[in-house]
Order: sequence, then C-alpha cells, then structure tokens
Amino acid sequence: MKLELINIEKSFGENKVLKGISFSADGGKAFGLLGRNGAGKTTTIRILMDVFSADAGEILVDGQPIDRKKIHFGYLPEERGLYPKKKIIDQLIYFAELRGMNRKDAVKNIDYWLGRLGMTEYREKRLDTLSKGNQQKIQLVTALAHDPQIVILDEPFSGLDPVNAMLLKDVVKEEISKGKIVLFSSHQMNYIEEFCDSIAILNGGENVLTGELHDIKRNYPRNKLVVDLEDKDKLISEMSSCSALQEDGSVLLTLSSPDEKRIMMKRLIENYDIDGIKVYEPTLNDIFVEYADDQR
Amino acid sequence: MGQFGKIFKFELKNYLTNKIFVGVTVFFSLIIALVMFFPRVAEIFESNDPDIPESSQEGIYIDEDQSSEDVYVESGNDGSIMLLRYNGENSDMIKEAFSNSFWGYNVEITEDDISVIEEKIRSGEAECAFVLDDLNYFTYYVGNLSMYDMNSEMASELLRTLYQQNSLMNSGLSEEEALDVLNAYVSYETVTLGKDQMVNYFYTYIMILALYMVILLYGQMVSTNVATEKSSRAMELLITSAKPSSMMFGKVFASCLAGFTQLVCIFGSAFVSFNINRTYWDEFGMVSSFFDIPIELIIYMLVFFVLGFLVYAFIFGAVGSTVSKLEDINTAVMPITLLFIFGFMVVVFSFASGTVDNILMKVCSYIPFTAPIAMFARIAMSTVPWYEITICISVLTLSVVFIGIISAKIYRVGVLLYGTPPKIGAILKAIKKA
Repeated sequence: MKLELINIEKSFGENKVLKGISFSADGGKAFGLLGRNGAGKTTTIRILMDVFSADAGEILVDGQPIDRKKIHFGYLPEERGLYPKKKIIDQLIYFAELRGMNRKDAVKNIDYWLGRLGMTEYREKRLDTLSKGNQQKIQLVTALAHDPQIVILDEPFSGLDPVNAMLLKDVVKEEISKGKIVLFSSHQMNYIEEFCDSIAILNGGENVLTGELHDIKRNYPRNKLVVDLEDKDKLISEMSSCSALQEDGSVLLTLSSPDEKRIMMKRLIENYDIDGIKVYEPTLNDIFVEYADDQR
Repeated sequence: MGQFGKIFKFELKNYLTNKIFVGVTVFFSLIIALVMFFPRVAEIFESNDPDIPESSQEGIYIDEDQSSEDVYVESGNDGSIMLLRYNGENSDMIKEAFSNSFWGYNVEITEDDISVIEEKIRSGEAECAFVLDDLNYFTYYVGNLSMYDMNSEMASELLRTLYQQNSLMNSGLSEEEALDVLNAYVSYETVTLGKDQMVNYFYTYIMILALYMVILLYGQMVSTNVATEKSSRAMELLITSAKPSSMMFGKVFASCLAGFTQLVCIFGSAFVSFNINRTYWDEFGMVSSFFDIPIELIIYMLVFFVLGFLVYAFIFGAVGSTVSKLEDINTAVMPITLLFIFGFMVVVFSFASGTVDNILMKVCSYIPFTAPIAMFARIAMSTVPWYEITICISVLTLSVVFIGIISAKIYRVGVLLYGTPPKIGAILKAIKKA
C-alpha cells in the first residue's frame, strides 16, 4: 500500500496554512512528519483524515483517490482526551463502533489490546481514575483497536516512562511489520530516527526536505571529521580556523571540500596521538535545526 | 446502524444512566404523585379528627340569605371577636345579619368610643370592628389588613341588601315580597362556539411552562455537553471518527428523547395518580380540568415540543462548539436564552391579558424562535384556522432542517477552534467554505 499526498493547499481566511505539501509513505514502513510548532503538521493530518477538505491537491492510495469507506485511520492526537467520567470499556467500544466495527469484533480487539498493553485490570474503571501514562495507553487503544490500515501517531512518546516507551516501541514495530503505514509526528528526533525510513520536514506550510532518511544523511556534504584525542587544545590552537570542540569532548574539523578529508586524516595521524577519526554524519536533530530553523 | 444511530444511543445512554437525571425524574414524579394523593390522605385525617364538629362544617353551606362563599370565611378565625357599633334603630336585626354573614366571628355590639375600639383591636382583644354611622356609611377597623380580607366588601353588600329591604318594606311590601324582589335570580346558559378560556387557562399555562422549562434546560445541556467534549479534548478523536452532522444530530435527538421521556414520566405519574384519586379532586375544578385536556392538544404539544426543542437545541449545540472553556458557556448562550425568554414573556403577557390572538402573538407564531409557544397558546386558547397551523408547522419544520444544517457546519468549524471565542463574522466566513 502506498499513500501519496500531492500538492495539498489549505487556507483559513487570509492565512495560507499549507502551500503545496507533497509526500508519499509506503506500507510496512514508518514515515516521519516533522516541523516546528505551527509548520502545518496537524492541519495536514486533519486533511488526511477528512476533518477539513483541502483547497487544492490530491490524496491517493495506490494511485487511486482515497476511498474513505475502505481505508481506515487510527489516530493518536497530540492533545489527548477522552471522556473522563466514563467507563473505559464503554468509550473504547463507542470509538471502535464509530469507526465502523461491529460490537463483537470491537470487544474482541479491545480486550486483545488492553491485554497487550497490560491494562486489562482497568477495563471496568473510569478513565479519570488512571494515571496520565495509563490514560495515554488507553488512548493508544482507541487508535489501534479497529485495525486501521494507516496509523497516525502524534507525539506518541510524550509523557511515557521508559518502560512504557519500550512497550510502545514494540507495539509500533509490530504494526509496521503487519504492513501498515505508520505516520509519526514528533519533536523527539531520536524516536523518529529509530523508526522512520522516510521523513518530510515542513516549514511555514511547505515541504523543505522530503525523502529517505538514509539518503538524506548520505547526501549531506561529507566534509566534516570527528576527531577523538587526548591533546585537544593543541589541535584546536593549531587549526583554530576550522576546528570546534563538541559537547561530547571530540573535536569537529570542517574542511573546505570533501576531497581534502584523506589528506587531513593522514596529517592528523602523523602529527597527533589520535584515538579515532570518522567522517561526520549529521543527526536528524542537526538536519531538522538546519531546515526548520527560520519560520518562513 | 450508522454513525448517527451509534451516537444517538451513546448520548441517550449518557442521560438515562446519569444519576442526577434519573434522580430528578424520579423525585418530581414522586412529588407530583404525592400531590395527587393529597386530598385522599387529607380526608383520612380529617374524618378521624374529632375536634371539628359536623355542624360547623355544614354551616358554610346552610346560610341562606348571603352570597358569601367559603373562601371568605377563612379570613375569620373561630371565635374571633368582631365589634359592631350602631346607634340607629333595628340594631338587633343588624347584629343578627352580621352574625349570620360573618359566621366565623363572634359579633358583639358595643357602644365604646372609637379610641377604645382601636385600643381593643391593637391589644388583640378584638380582631376588627365596624362602626356604622347609618346603613349607608361605615368605617372598618382592623389590625393588619390581609390581602384576602373581604370583610368590608361583605359588609357593604350586606348593608346594601338591608337598606334595599327596608326601603321596599317601607313602601308597602311585606318582608317576604321584598326578599323575593331582592333575591330574584336570572338563570342563563353559555354556548361556547370556540374555546372556553376559563377552562383552558390552567392547563395551557402549565403546558407552556413545561415547554419553556424543558426546552431551556435541555438546550443548555446540549451546549454544555458539546463544550465538555471540546474542553476535555475528546473532540480531537470524535471529529476524526464521525461526521460533524451525525454528531450534532445524534446529540440533539438523544437529548430531545431524554427530555421527552422525563416529561412523559412526570406527567404520566400525575395522570395515573390523578385518575386513582379522581373522586377526591371533584371539588377542585381547576385541577380536574387539567386532566381533561383534549387529546389533539396533547398531540399539538408534542409536535411543538419536538420542533421547538430542535430549533433551540441545534443553536445551543452550535454555540457550545464555539467556546473553549466550560466557564464561557453561560455568557455564550445568553443571547439565545434571552431570545427565548422574550418569546415566552410575550406569550405569557398576551395570555394573561386574555388576548391570545393579538397582532404580536400572530407575528410570533410564524417566527421559528417564538412559534412553538405562541402557536401552541393560540391553539389551546382560541380557534386558529387550519391553514395557519399548517403554515406555522411548515415554517418550523423547514427552520429545523435549515438550522440543523447550519449548526452542524458551525460545529465542524467551532470544535477545532481553541482560544478566544471567534467573532460571528469569522464563523460565517468559515461556514461558507466548509
């Protein structure tokens, strides 16, 4: 399955929020939708889920306009919230039914997911008696219980303790392995880096960077070296124009061209007591900061 | 079952399992049943009460030559002293007449000065006093003048009759002939071609009040319900799971049915317990008349309840969707509440003045916001041509559809707007695009 968004545009009054968003996501893979606050992620998600209609552009599934009767979405919104005063099982069934499930299947799936997330004991409790992390797990059940083909997770890890975060990671990996499309939106870059094969970075309602994360990293100019050594001060003083001390204690050398890196490596090994040298690969965080830096 | 059905079921279940809703319904049903059983219970106590002698109860009815009714009698306590000062002739006859008319009082002839009489009343020795200058003029002295004190009117009537009787006797008639003339009775009969407003007044009033309360209460419940979903952010999930129109219609129809159920419970309880005790209510014509509502009026009430409810509930729902915080809801719904209260006031005032067919009421019965109450009052209290009723119901039905669609659009736009409530202009623009 392949989901494509092509040139989606949307305005609210005079305010043009989306100025032609395009990306595509494949089944069995996770896709990261990144951008600073106000970049247009939530609006894109809402258009995808048919809360708003787009002013222009198309949404295709396997090359055909999306058939919302067949394609179901699971959604974990960033703003979490269910009915605080209602019994958990009642509201889970309600939401599953609203998304087209019959009651019997809904109960079966919900019981599976409550068990999978270790929440079975809370089945008959009221939502507001649960801790925040557990409420979030209940919210996750609403996103997954109706077995959607496309799962949209907006900041899924915020508010989870490390054990629950691990559990969620496993769940997400399972969903991906079932061939579903998982759309991530998060500001926690480490999780995106861990899961997502492709990303799109939005800035000011436009795509500023789209593609496979691996390619993006490879295509980044390879003109920086990370050097580990004891005598950092000597290196920095001798190459003050192109060196910088990094937070982890290594020294970053920026070369004028990638072609120089072999000569430089040789020179370093000859002149200093080097523990290690490698070509610098940007983290997603670096890429994000670079592309999403100024709001357009 | 489509989304509408699921939402309807969920929302209805919310109402029917809500402890407050169930509690209020049961409480009012019980209260009204108790009220209906009251005369039966009261009679049991009265018949067991040896303090009240039979004769004094009958005394109310056996007085012949007075037109007073038992209501007046209540103003006099048993054995209270009423002073009577009269220096003219026939003072015994006058005393007797007063004693007969004011049977609850102990009438005493006095020759005291005014100041002494006043002092006796102040000290509580006597309750009131009549000082008669002659048969045509008297002064009534009383401590606190009760709202229901009819003594001076009764005395005036009594003295007038005495005066007329005296005059007739002086001109040569015998006492019997004079009384015949004075008590001549003209019998009559009324043929009502339209509605008898005296009979209809009571139940129409109660039904209008019920319409008013249910529409307002449930309308506000709808808007609170929407605002709660929005402020708890359950909306984020709802709006991506169901169509706004299904949500709006599901909610509104569920609350309509809940309100209807409540009405049926309370009125049903009243009706059943009244019929059990029907014989005990015979002397209270007003109450009995309430339960003799013609069936077509009940059907009209249902029609106007449903239509009026829907008109307002949709608007209340739409308004609820525009506020982000629950605290703002009261301010936001105020204009609608005021509109509704205005409509209610117009009807009640026209109604109380007995002119239900005045021009204002006619206009109001075609405006969707006032029509349910105005037209219902007119149908109940006067004769409205069938085509006017048809037009009114058509206008209301079309308005419900129109307002429903517009509200669903406002809802769709409103529920995702957080922060300051949007201006009306901004909402209208958004609706056009939605």
